[in-house]
Amino acid sequence: MGSQIHTYTFNASLEVLEEIRNLISQKGNEHGYSKKEIYNLTLAVDEIATNIINHGYIEKGIKKGTFNMLIELHEKQLIVRLVDGAVPYNPIDQNLPSEELLNTPLEDRPIGGLGIMIAKQSVDEFKYEFIEGKNNNIFVVNKK
Amino acid sequence: MDFTVVSEITDNIATVTLKGSLDSASASVFQEEIQKLIGQPIKDLVLRVSELSFMASAGLRMIIFAKQKLGSAVNIFLVSPQDQIIDTLQMTGFIHSVHIVDKYPK
Repeated sequence: MGSQIHTYTFNASLEVLEEIRNLISQKGNEHGYSKKEIYNLTLAVDEIATNIINHGYIEKGIKKGTFNMLIELHEKQLIVRLVDGAVPYNPIDQNLPSEELLNTPLEDRPIGGLGIMIAKQSVDEFKYEFIEGKNNNIFVVNKK
Repeated sequence: MDFTVVSEITDNIATVTLKGSLDSASASVFQEEIQKLIGQPIKDLVLRVSELSFMASAGLRMIIFAKQKLGSAVNIFLVSPQDQIIDTLQMTGFIHSVHIVDKYPK
């Protein structure tokens, strides 16, 4: 089979997260990815999409923002790409929670900072590219 | 799947049943439920999650919120979480601060 690319556009609103997860699950299922691989991919994309919607649009007061999701199905890989035109933001540059923090009791922890770590650890490859003025967050799952 | 949350308190034990997908859109519903529990004499917070199909970091933030608002002496139990949710608890170190059990009470 050749590669397929499906493109979707969403409003920058948290209500779209469920549809994003459903679309990824559907395509992953159709192409033979495991329940665990699909769950982890939806989790990674959900975390970063949440950050884009909250920090890129809602907190900036941008009311009618939209962003795109591309689901690319290749012979050996499933790739999801989130493309947004909000302020440039490279999640790979952010400091991840330290081992010390991860061992800190919950009552002493700051609320937040876990999403990017979860995203990085939940897919085979998590990349960021800034292309033609847009943030591209790229999630790669290799076919096992 | 739609998120639903139902809670009750009996004998200082707060039982909260979570179903569906807990993401950053639905976390506020869970937060409101936790806020109802603040100030009540609670020994154990029992989260029934066998039908929770998805939990993002927004859900983890609510567990931190519960621990901080209800007091660090409150024990938090997660009853029958799905494997993928256990993986997330493991990855983030939450596994050390909550009790994962098959049923409650034992």
